[in-house]
Amino acid sequence: MPVDVAELKRSWTGFEFDRVEFPVTAEELAAFARAVGESAPWFVDPGHPEFRAVPNFTTKYHGRRMWPPDFPRLSKHSVGFDAGKRVEVHAPIRAGDVLTARSQIHDIYEKTGRSGSMVFIVHRMEFSNQRGELAAVVDWRFLQQPDPD
Amino acid sequence: MRFEDVDFGQDLPELAPDVGPEAVRRFAETAGMLHPRFFDAEAARREGLPGAIVPGIMSQGILAALIHRWAPEARIQVLDTTFRAPLLVGSKPRCRGVVTDLDSDSRSVEIDLTLMNEAGETRVVGTAKVTLP
Repeated sequence: MPVDVAELKRSWTGFEFDRVEFPVTAEELAAFARAVGESAPWFVDPGHPEFRAVPNFTTKYHGRRMWPPDFPRLSKHSVGFDAGKRVEVHAPIRAGDVLTARSQIHDIYEKTGRSGSMVFIVHRMEFSNQRGELAAVVDWRFLQQPDPD
Repeated sequence: MRFEDVDFGQDLPELAPDVGPEAVRRFAETAGMLHPRFFDAEAARREGLPGAIVPGIMSQGILAALIHRWAPEARIQVLDTTFRAPLLVGSKPRCRGVVTDLDSDSRSVEIDLTLMNEAGETRVVGTAKVTLP
């Protein structure tokens, strides 16, 4: 059965299906920064007055579930794969912050390649801090290839 | 690096990041990504991968570090990366960036980013919007 991408999008996008809090520690901020090769003191030295997260720090966080309850699997044989990440940075993330991450399916779209139909599901996590300020938005593009007819 | 120092088409200094087994393990542990596909070539091959692979978000972080090496006080506003093909643990990748747009009103630039393996094959591409002092 071909996948009705427009119907999937209508039914599954735009509502929150998960919410998780993440307390942020100085140790994990510095460790993440060092592990990607950063050396500036404001990324690796917790004693620096401007110490803060690197731009994609929030990509390490996962919610309690990847998809909403009963979200359909498009393939019996493959779970798909991570096709990319887009990060918007809105406010600095600092040690001691408590981030609230809200998850939704932001978009579902289809592309056709040499190997057939590819469906991209964009899982969005919005991170706000303990003052209610939006800190970051992470869009995770997940690719699934529906089973052939 | 200040906005006035940047030209359209300017190349960022190339970076040769460490994606050896130790570096990847360090990243995976700090990111809580303890799946065997990042450490164990056999486990990765059972999933249809060519060998143990570098986590996509590690590649993304490395590309952000490329920008910060070039402009330490840059503020990355948007970082968008596409994981085109697996990057193998222990390979010798190179990262490149080129300035593709400048906006003097916001003192921001756009940068195209590429991470290639030693064969010159593109593994990760991306774009960044960056504000400069």
